[in-house]
Amino acid sequence: MDLTQFAHPPGQLAGRTLEEWNSAYAKVESYFHALRIQNKVLLGQLVIHVIERAMHRAPKEPQRSATEIAAEEMDKLVTTWFAEVLQEQPTNVDQQLSTRGRLSLLLADMPGKWQDQFLRPGPWPEEFVTAMRETYLRAGPDFQLSKMVPRPLDLGPIATLDSFSRLPYFKMFSVWILFWIALIVIFILTH
Amino acid sequence: MSPAANQPNPTIISQPRVRRGHRVFFFYSSALLLTGFVSWLFADLMWRTDWSISKTILLALFTILFLLCSIGCMNAIFGFFIRLIGDNSRLTQLNDYRSHDIKGISTAIVFPIYNEDVARVYERLRAAYRSLQKAGEIEHFDFYILSDSTNPDKWVEEEKRWLDLARDLDAIGKINYRRRVNNEAKKSGNIHDFLTNWGRRYRYFIVFDADSIMRGATILDMVRLMEVNPEVGLIQTVPALVNAESLFGRIQQFANRLYAPIFISGLNYWSQNFGNYWGHNAIIRTEPFIQFCDLPHLPGRKPFGGQILSHDFVEAALMLKENWQIWFAYDLEGSYEEAPQDMIENAQRDRRWCQGNMQHAMVVFAKGLRGVSRIHLLMGIFGYLSSPLWLLFLLTFNFILWSRELSGLSDITVHAFTPFLKVDGMQHAFLIFGICMTVIFLPKVLALIDLARDKQRALAFGGMRHAITSAIVETTFSSLQAPLQMLWHSKFVTTILFGIGVNWGTQNRGSDGISWAHAVRNHWAHTAIGLVWGYAVWRLDQPTFWWFAPVCAGMVISIPMSVFTSRATWGERARTSGLFMTPEEILPPPEIKRLRERMKALDESGSGEPFASGSGLAIAVIDPYVNAIHVSLQREKWLNPQYAEMLAQIGVARPEVREYGEKLLAEGPDALKPAERMLVLADSRVMSWLHHQVWQRPNETLAPWWQKAIRKYARN
Repeated sequence: MDLTQFAHPPGQLAGRTLEEWNSAYAKVESYFHALRIQNKVLLGQLVIHVIERAMHRAPKEPQRSATEIAAEEMDKLVTTWFAEVLQEQPTNVDQQLSTRGRLSLLLADMPGKWQDQFLRPGPWPEEFVTAMRETYLRAGPDFQLSKMVPRPLDLGPIATLDSFSRLPYFKMFSVWILFWIALIVIFILTH
Repeated sequence: MSPAANQPNPTIISQPRVRRGHRVFFFYSSALLLTGFVSWLFADLMWRTDWSISKTILLALFTILFLLCSIGCMNAIFGFFIRLIGDNSRLTQLNDYRSHDIKGISTAIVFPIYNEDVARVYERLRAAYRSLQKAGEIEHFDFYILSDSTNPDKWVEEEKRWLDLARDLDAIGKINYRRRVNNEAKKSGNIHDFLTNWGRRYRYFIVFDADSIMRGATILDMVRLMEVNPEVGLIQTVPALVNAESLFGRIQQFANRLYAPIFISGLNYWSQNFGNYWGHNAIIRTEPFIQFCDLPHLPGRKPFGGQILSHDFVEAALMLKENWQIWFAYDLEGSYEEAPQDMIENAQRDRRWCQGNMQHAMVVFAKGLRGVSRIHLLMGIFGYLSSPLWLLFLLTFNFILWSRELSGLSDITVHAFTPFLKVDGMQHAFLIFGICMTVIFLPKVLALIDLARDKQRALAFGGMRHAITSAIVETTFSSLQAPLQMLWHSKFVTTILFGIGVNWGTQNRGSDGISWAHAVRNHWAHTAIGLVWGYAVWRLDQPTFWWFAPVCAGMVISIPMSVFTSRATWGERARTSGLFMTPEEILPPPEIKRLRERMKALDESGSGEPFASGSGLAIAVIDPYVNAIHVSLQREKWLNPQYAEMLAQIGVARPEVREYGEKLLAEGPDALKPAERMLVLADSRVMSWLHHQVWQRPNETLAPWWQKAIRKYARN
């Protein structure tokens, strides 16, 4: 990478401060780290690759921060790669491809077995491609909908008793009735 | 639908020799006869010192309470003799089932969960899965984690750990996870939801609880038993308590393992094919359950009206009503569950069960139910109602004592109408007391005799000497704990009747039991009642005080008793002394052994720690994989018309959810109400959008809460 092409004024790269690029670098690195890219060399290479692409774009979009551009580039790079591996069109209205791609990475065990293949241009090992394309995630097998409806149950005499609880001030009445019963009982017992 | 036809005909090896109706009559007649005799003696004793209304009340209460004790005792006596002479009238003896082929039979194993300790529930699932795998029949089973969790952290943790587990076991597509859109009708609604979505795929389903563990071979036996008994709708196993560490937990575990066999044998004697369902560790025939066991809404308001909370007994009653049989397969080993580890947690569980059981009062007179179902429902109700009745009995007795003291008159004992007894008043009272104590403690003695008959089994309890010592200590502890149960249950029943909630405060349980502060908060009233009551009785009549001393002692020492029995160190001390040993402790089955090892490893590594409060949302948004899992599962819900309707009803996919998302990014989760946060989590589009936004926006434009959460993903 020829960094001299971006370093116009001192302390700047591609029209942004070094601090700004540092933040962008940290964010991109964090994302790849979140994707469980643990290999330091690989991680560094991938981040530099994204930052390089962002630096190319940066002078044309002076109003946007380095982090935004770098993150966009990272997203574009990852989604395009998903489209290639999964052989899908990157229409991506609802980021469906991104979701599916990330899920495939996890289920194919990219962090464990295929770190070196991540974002690498094809052709990829057959086993890796198969693992990526054949993964799926569902809450369960196909729904087989049925209706479960309660049958009428005649509760018998208790159902009519229950209507007492609908009387206004039922609780208050019952407490007072209990109180008077208690008074009467105490009276009888003590005389 | 009638019991399935065209099923293979298994070899019948035994049939019940005595009709079930005769067994019920004989059993309950014995209990009533004993109650009648003792109540008559009690009435006679009352008569000796003049009759009064309060004595009528006392007699009525005594009769009810004694009947309940008598039924318990009869269960033990019948069970003891059944075990002594051998019992052919049990499900496993009716047909030759062991060699039955279950190829092509699909069974779902369902785990309804609600804000549980996720790592531990999943470890229990892993144990059952591995055990079935080892038994060589895993292909006939599908597992379902049916989440009803309302805590966003639990929700996300369940999803993440589910995929980890499924990947680890290479069981993606075999172990399924779904979270309901709403919590309608709680556990029964959760099962209902599973059945309406996937139920028809399976001939049987087996219900686990969050604390359940089952051996693969036992699960296979349950399916085979169902296959060879096509008229059976439900088989309930009897779970053994395992994995207790605290002293309280180990005492309960020991009591369960020692006493349950004779009680359950007695229960099976009279219930036979009209058994009951306890809500878990049971296999259910799907089709009749779908057809007949949806629970009706009860008329009126809470606590009795509305949804039936304690669904299991009612579902069993509905199944029996439609001529399907229910059996206790009590001799099937390999069915386990874990239990609360301290008295307060145990009471909290009782509070939930109490409300459900009290609600059964609405169903008990329903038309068409079997008489045995009514007995099961009534026994459930009186399991809790007996506490306020006992309290009332003691208070009435105190009142009689007080009124006698107040009158200043001494008792003039007269001859009773039983002169042939030739006993004085004191001897008469002691005779009744002796009978009561016998009825209460005889089951324990019978259980020990039953144990002594089987040397191998006795060794599995640490030997007879240890078993007897443990039973004596257990009896002492349960005698001290009983008055607390009485106060707790009385409070539950009263508060439920008046529709008042019970405030427990936050659970304060460390690695070695509950804290003193937590115990004081929950027991100060018990201590105060014990002191005041004891003092009052002492002032009234000192000889009577000593009769009351055990009751008051349990209350007075409730705080230290609660703290010390909750401690694992005390449990360990008891274990090293050989106390409260159970077969699963001495010779742990492989499933339990592996489960313990896994849990120990989880504890040591800290990887089983629940997600920190608030972290679920952060992880679901930030983590690329967790976000993908969460979004995929949420998207899938729209494929189900019922879920789609519910999602639309709660407001998912409305424009304002995106606004909540913006607010979330700018101000952090505290800016949203809990319901709004749940709405964001339920919206797959917004969650996907949030994931991209949080990684694309410069950190300084995000709320500090996000900046902190993202930092956790930075390379160290």
